[in-house]
Amino acid sequence: MKNNLLNALSVALFATAGLYSAHLLAAGNPAAAGNGDTNITEEQFLKVAKESFPWATPEEFDERVKNDVTLAICNKTNGQPNAAETDVILKFEKSRMEYPKDGKLYGDWKKGQEWAEGAHGGRIGFADADDPAHPNGANCYACHAIDPNFPGAGNMGPSLTNYGKLRGQSEPMIKYTYEKIYDSKALVPCSLMPRYGGKGHLLTAEQVADITAFLLDPASPVNLPAKEAAK
Amino acid sequence: MKKKIAWLCFAAPILFGSQITTTYAATPSDEDKKFEAYREAMADFNPGDFWIEDGEKLFHEKRGPKNVSLDGCDLGLGPGVVKGAYAQLPRYFKDTNRVETLEGRLLGCMVHQQGFNEEEITKPYYASLAEENGTKSDLVELVAYVAAQSNGQPYRVKLENAAEKNAYEMGKYAFYHRMGSMDLACASCHATPGLVLRGVHLPVMTDPATAGKVMTAFPAYVIKDANVRTWFWRNERCLLAMRMPFLKVNSDLDVALHLFQVMEASKTDTPIAVPGIKPRA
Ligand code: HEC
Repeated sequence: MKNNLLNALSVALFATAGLYSAHLLAAGNPAAAGNGDTNITEEQFLKVAKESFPWATPEEFDERVKNDVTLAICNKTNGQPNAAETDVILKFEKSRMEYPKDGKLYGDWKKGQEWAEGAHGGRIGFADADDPAHPNGANCYACHAIDPNFPGAGNMGPSLTNYGKLRGQSEPMIKYTYEKIYDSKALVPCSLMPRYGGKGHLLTAEQVADITAFLLDPASPVNLPAKEAAK
Repeated sequence: MKKKIAWLCFAAPILFGSQITTTYAATPSDEDKKFEAYREAMADFNPGDFWIEDGEKLFHEKRGPKNVSLDGCDLGLGPGVVKGAYAQLPRYFKDTNRVETLEGRLLGCMVHQQGFNEEEITKPYYASLAEENGTKSDLVELVAYVAAQSNGQPYRVKLENAAEKNAYEMGKYAFYHRMGSMDLACASCHATPGLVLRGVHLPVMTDPATAGKVMTAFPAYVIKDANVRTWFWRNERCLLAMRMPFLKVNSDLDVALHLFQVMEASKTDTPIAVPGIKPRA
């Protein structure tokens, strides 16, 4: 885990200097987990997973379990892809990367604040499942401290408090931040962080742009001192 | 089949205070400290005891289309033997040719011996989480009753044959397998010490001491839900958070995940003490 955090941080720090690639090979993620050490085959597991849930459609199963290229490699290698596998993942994930139609990677930070806090979305298979008509949230606080006034953050990812204050709002920083949220695995092959953009994941490109602004904007509470009242 | 627990719905906040039901309102340590104080105050009164009492009646009552009791249900130690049964489950059963959990085994007896309809028992039977919280299921009452008959004993689950070994390996594979819309595995959250998720400390289920402490408290009375929750239910909730669908009771994955975790608990001498009591689950 410590390695993982260091990797995540070093990628973040070097991103502005355009040095991503040097760090990608070292980006294996012990906490991201492989298959344990078993004699079970992926086929056997897929059969069990298919039969153990009331899948509404075969597509639902394919999308959620039958691995995409990336997770297949991450699972097989215990989060430690070799150089060739890293190439495969990065190529695949870069091909998934999409941007808002208007080309703006920096959206509305107030909306981003709402998406970052929200935990709605993607729950399936029961009467009270998440309504797809309602916008999804990213539940960022599950893993990150962000707005210092928000109670009860997680520590599975690095603190993002003062993110914009520390890093500034340069074009490369905006692009890096957007891409990290849209598809963490396009930057760190087996990142523990969920991929938020694209089919089967929770956010739209516009929402990712809003969260990007929430992290970077000088007026966002992320980059302001904590309010006294919250203490 | 399903009873409303209306009295508990209003009683819970009054009995336990609403601060406990707001999961993310305080820092974990504050909230857990408050809860410890409640747990001590509640030492003599655990609403989960009602599930055990009702489960005992249900177990011995003649029920279902075939009008028989569960006294013929073999939970691994012979027909009708409940004492110590939970402490040695999941295990392989010859008659079904499967490894089964207590919950799955009881379900099987309700279906095959009493003639109940399996779908009726296991389908998501509520229209909302609020309705689910207010519903007391026969199966959960039965699980609570039988589990409590192992109180004082540590888990002693063994892998004695190929089926059990395979189910264990499957559980391990599944535990480490990233999947769902969030790219997560159980191990992402439950295999590294010191992780906190949105203010909640995550138990390391691959650590025997932790697994022993956590598993000996299930089935547990969960104050937030004012309901008793089983190990199956707990795993299912995390699968839902990973954006997987509802898990089927007694499915191979249910059995495998249960067996993988209970093997860790079986390395300890922590005695089973159910119903546990928890602020949330
Ligand atoms: C995103 C992180 C995450 C993932 C992935 C996850 N869990 Fe959990 N798990 C939690 C949280 C949060 C809790 C609640 C802890 C609490 O309330 O004390 C929890 C609780 C549990 C508990 C109950 C612990 C207790 O003390 O009562 C069990 C058992 C469990 N999880 C098993 C699993 C299994 C099995 C999987 C994989 C199918 C899994 N979890 C996946 C976050 C996760």
